Amino acid sequence: MNIIEIENLTHRFADGTIGIEGINLAIRQGSFVVIAGHNGSGKTTLLRHLNGLLLPSDGVVRLAGKRVEEDLLKARQFVGMMFQDADSQIVGETVYEDVAFGPENLCLERAAIQKRVNSALRVVGLQDLADQRPHLLSGGEKRRLAIAGVLAMEPRVIVFDEPFASLDYPGVKQVLQQILDLHRSGHTIVATTHDLEKIIAHADRLIIMQGGKIVRDGGPAEIVGHLEAFGVREPCAYRLGLEAESWLN
Amino acid sequence: MAELTSFGYFAGDSLLHNLDPRFKLLYIIAFSLICLNMNFLSLIIMSVLLSGLIIYARLPVGSGFKELRYFFVLLVFVFMARVLSTDGGSLIDFKFFSISSQGLYAGLLVCGRLAFIVVLGFTLISTTRPSEIKAAVQWFLKPVPFIPEQKVAVMLGLILRFVPVIFDQAAETGQAQKARCVQNRKNPVYRLIKLGFPLMRRTFERADDLVAAMEARGFTENRTDPELTAHPRDWLALLVVTCLCIAVIIW
Repeated sequence: MNIIEIENLTHRFADGTIGIEGINLAIRQGSFVVIAGHNGSGKTTLLRHLNGLLLPSDGVVRLAGKRVEEDLLKARQFVGMMFQDADSQIVGETVYEDVAFGPENLCLERAAIQKRVNSALRVVGLQDLADQRPHLLSGGEKRRLAIAGVLAMEPRVIVFDEPFASLDYPGVKQVLQQILDLHRSGHTIVATTHDLEKIIAHADRLIIMQGGKIVRDGGPAEIVGHLEAFGVREPCAYRLGLEAESWLN
Repeated sequence: MAELTSFGYFAGDSLLHNLDPRFKLLYIIAFSLICLNMNFLSLIIMSVLLSGLIIYARLPVGSGFKELRYFFVLLVFVFMARVLSTDGGSLIDFKFFSISSQGLYAGLLVCGRLAFIVVLGFTLISTTRPSEIKAAVQWFLKPVPFIPEQKVAVMLGLILRFVPVIFDQAAETGQAQKARCVQNRKNPVYRLIKLGFPLMRRTFERADDLVAAMEARGFTENRTDPELTAHPRDWLALLVVTCLCIAVIIW
């Protein structure tokens, strides 16, 4: 079953420039999709259509068969989004309050909010830092907090925009482990990156974008050889003729 | 960011920590108002009571006073201005200056009142989580027409959340400029412009990202209200505060 269906999606910005053009894409429930492309290729613009942060100039985006613009709040609950800069995503004065922000927007009862927050903090392993100020967390912890904030909304699809940007090696491992755990628990994962090295071993589909269009789409092993032609470095293992290895090994 | 963390909430389990934040805001408003009517003796008595409460709540008095050091410098100026501008029987005469006992009394009283209000504020901030203060403000604003209390509460929270981030950004931009020898430019206006513009641009970009992130998490003004519960101890404390206020007014 396709959880996301995009038909002929085009987005024109206010100044007339084309962000993305003629995108057709269907994403199966439970899949792990990586979208690669150099800076400015339209990855983030595409992602922001999935939960209605941007609305199409032309075309349609459907989530489980329903058009995004029919119910924006529901779309945002359905598709949780992790932004590139975790610092800009965290709004609470404490870790607990930040995770509670989403459920509070859904007007849930206090008891239900508490349950969701505690559960999300347990999943990302931040339950002992519930009273900590987010500003004092490490880069990896901030990224995990942002994930907890998304999880508390109980989304079915989780979208990561450059999830490893400016993280050190332990931070990358923590976040990658979290993404894999979420995938295993049944979430559909869509991640954009221009640095495939860290995530390619786990993806079951790779999409390459350039100039706002999808230029390649298929299994990672099939199309990884085309990457460099579109400004994305081919992962080291593939260059050496080996199979991609997880960063968690 | 040490300067921002020491003058903030200080975790504890004292009566002051456990009082309802709405009542605490009421107490601080009441004391600040009657402070204008306090004479020297009642100010001393109230200050002793407040000091007792601060010691009982085990608040970080040392770091609190360290943070208030610039305020005390301001108090010295207020004291001088009051002493030199109040007429009365001359105590000390020196060239053009004349200091009267009335001036000394008035200066000490004004400084004492100002210091009392600021220490009250320190006590409130040290014993109340920012989220509790935010919730109390939201509760008080609820009956006020034309003020969207939910929006005000979210804005208060965002200010508290983003002030340290902006300070960090300013420090980073400042260091990047020092690395390019900005200190060789002696003109402070030039340096201010070179620091201010990139900082403002980055802050606005961050604000844009923040708006997108809040929308992505379904931000709406119609949200779950914060939970506040008044206990008997809050009403008892209100009774004590009311009695103290009446005593000060009558005295």
